[in-house]
Amino acid sequence: MRTFVGLISGGADIGRTRLFWISFGVVVLLFLLYPTQASAFRVSNVSFYLLNIPLGLGMALLWGYCGVLSFGHVAYFGVAGYTYGVIAGNMSGNPFGPLAGVAGGLLASMFVAGVFGYFVFYARVQKWIIPILTLVLTLLLETFLGQTAGYQWRVGSVLLGGYNGMTGIPWFQVGGFVFEGYSFYYLCLLLVLACYFGLRMLVNSNFGQVIVAIREDELRTELLGYDIRARQWVVFVLSAALAGLSGLLYVQWGNYITPSQVGLLQAALPVIWTAVGGTTSLLAVAISAFALNWITFTLSSQGNQYAMVIIGGLLVATMVFFPRGIVVMVAERLGRLMTRRAAPPRQP
Amino acid sequence: MLLRPKAHFGRSKRVLDLREAAMDVLSLVLSLLYQFGTSAAFFFLAAVGLVIILGMMNIINLAHGELMMIGAYTATLTYHAGVPFWLSVILSFFVAAAFGAVLELLIVRRFYGRELGALVVTWGVSLVLGQGTLLFFGPFLPSIGIPGGSFSYGVFSFSAYWLILSLISLLLIIGLWWLYNRTSYGLQAKATMQNAEMAKSLGVRTSRIYTLTFSLGAGLAGLSGALLAPTVTIAPFMGQQFVAPAFITVVVGGAANVIAGAVASSMVLAAVKTPIGMAFGAFSGTVALLLAALIIIRIMPNGLSAPLEKYFNRRAGRAMR
Repeated sequence: MRTFVGLISGGADIGRTRLFWISFGVVVLLFLLYPTQASAFRVSNVSFYLLNIPLGLGMALLWGYCGVLSFGHVAYFGVAGYTYGVIAGNMSGNPFGPLAGVAGGLLASMFVAGVFGYFVFYARVQKWIIPILTLVLTLLLETFLGQTAGYQWRVGSVLLGGYNGMTGIPWFQVGGFVFEGYSFYYLCLLLVLACYFGLRMLVNSNFGQVIVAIREDELRTELLGYDIRARQWVVFVLSAALAGLSGLLYVQWGNYITPSQVGLLQAALPVIWTAVGGTTSLLAVAISAFALNWITFTLSSQGNQYAMVIIGGLLVATMVFFPRGIVVMVAERLGRLMTRRAAPPRQP
Repeated sequence: MLLRPKAHFGRSKRVLDLREAAMDVLSLVLSLLYQFGTSAAFFFLAAVGLVIILGMMNIINLAHGELMMIGAYTATLTYHAGVPFWLSVILSFFVAAAFGAVLELLIVRRFYGRELGALVVTWGVSLVLGQGTLLFFGPFLPSIGIPGGSFSYGVFSFSAYWLILSLISLLLIIGLWWLYNRTSYGLQAKATMQNAEMAKSLGVRTSRIYTLTFSLGAGLAGLSGALLAPTVTIAPFMGQQFVAPAFITVVVGGAANVIAGAVASSMVLAAVKTPIGMAFGAFSGTVALLLAALIIIRIMPNGLSAPLEKYFNRRAGRAMR
C-alpha cells in the first residue's frame, strides 16, 4: 500500500499537496455527478472531450518524459478505430464481437507501432527523423484509406468507404450490456482515470526514472548499463496503445470514422495539447486536452472557420512565450500563491 | 521499283520488323529514363529548400509545404494578372524569401539549438498559414496550364515542361554548389555551421547569416512551389502533397552533406519509385518510398550523405598530400 501511494505521489508530476488531492477529488466528483444535471447531448459532448485524453497522455509520456516526438500518433488512433470497425462490424449480432474488436484494434495499433519503432529506435536515428517519418506514415495511411471507396474494398461485410469513411460501427458492448449515452460517459471517465493513475505510477517507478534519464542524456544512460533502444521502443508502443484506446473510444462514440481523422490537421492536435499543457506533466496535458477539445468543438460547431487558425496560433504563442506549457505555468503560479498564503501562520 | 525481286522484299520487311522492335525498346528505355529523371527532379525540387535550412541551421522547417504553397500562390496570382510565367516564378522566389526572412526574425530565431521545439513551432506556423489561406483565398485558385507542349517518340509521349524542370534542377545543383564553395557568403555560412562561436569571434555576423540562409531556403521552397504549380491543383493545403516526398528525401539524404545527400537520395528514391509506380500504381510507389527510407536509415542511420561526405573528405585529404 505504501509503495502504491509513493508511486502515485512521487515527484514526476505536478500536484502532490493535500490541497491538490482534495481539489482533484472534488473535480472527479463533479464529473461523476455531471450526467445527473446535464442533457444527453452535453454528456455526449463531454464524453468526446474525455475520450481524447488517453491520446494526449500517450503523447505526454512519449514526448515529455521520453523525449521522443511523434507527429503520427493519429495513425495508431486510426488503425485501432478501423480495425475495431472491421472486426465488430463483421461479428455484429455476437455479444462479444465488440470486445474482440477492442482487442484486435489495440493489437493492430501496437503491431504497427512495434514494427515502425523497431526500424527507428534500433537504427538509433537522429532525433528529428522520428517525427518526420511518423508524419509520413500517417499521411500515407490517410492516402491509402482515402482511395478505398467502392465495393472492392470490403473486409467481410464491412466497407472501408474511401473519403466518406466507415459508417455504422457498432457500440461497445460486453455480453448483453451496451455502452451508449450515460454508460459510455462513465466508461470514458473510468478509462481516463485508470490511464492517468497508471501512467503516473509508471513515470514514478524505476522504469519512469530511466526514461526521463534517456530524455536528459541518452549516452550517459546507456553507459550506466540501460538498453535505451528497448526502453524507447516500449514507451513508443505503449503510447501507441493509448492512442489506439482513444481511437477505439472515438469510433464507439460516433459510430463512424473517416480518413481525415488520420490527416495532417488531426495529427497536429495531440502535439498541440501536449505543448500547450506542458510536456513535463501528465495532468497538465490531460487538462489541456480536455480544454482544447472543448474549445475547438464549440468553435467549429458554431461554424467558426477560425478554429484551426486559433489553435495553430495558440501553439506558436505557447512555444514562443511559454515554452514550458501554459497549464504547468499556471499551476506553478497557483502553487506559489498557496504556499505564500499558507506560510505566515506556520512560521511564527 | 516494280522489278524488285520478291526475296528482297521479304528481307527488307524483316529488317523493318527488327527496326520497329528496336525502336520500341529504345522508346521504352527513353520513357523509363524520362520517368526516372523527372521523378528525381521532383524529389529534388520538393526538398531543396528544406535541405538548405536543415543542413546549415539544423532546423527542420515543417512550414516547408506552406512556403511552397506561398510560391505557387504568388506565381498563380501574378500569372493570371498578366505577368509572363517565368517572371512570375522568379517573383515567387523573392516573395517566399521575404516571408522566410520575417519568419526567421520573428519566430525561428528563438529556437536555435532546440530541434524539437523548432519542429513544433514551424508546424504551428504551417497550420496558421494553410488555414489562413483557405479563409483568405478560398478553397482553390484557377490553375496554370503546363507551359511548353509535349512530343512523342514511339508509343510514349514526353512533356517538354518536365524536361525543363529536370534541367532547372541541374542548374540549381550547380548554382548551390557555386554559392557554397565559391562565394564569401558560402564560406561564412559553412564557418557558422561548423562553429558559430568561433565564426562570430572572427567577425562573421552569424545572426545575419542565419536570416539569409533561412530566407534562401524559404525562397527556394517558393521557387519550387511556383515551378511545380502548373502540374498540381492550386489549393491552400497543396503543400501537404510535397511533405511526404520532401521529408523522405531529406531523411534518406541525411545532414552530413545536404546538397550531395539530396541529389543522391533523389536519384535513389526515383530509382525505387519509377519501376514500382509504373507497375503497381502511384500509391504503391509512395509506400515503397517509406519502406525504402526505413530500410536505408536502418542500414545507414545518418543517411546517404554520411558515406558520401567521408569519401569527399578522403579524396580532399589525398589531394592535399
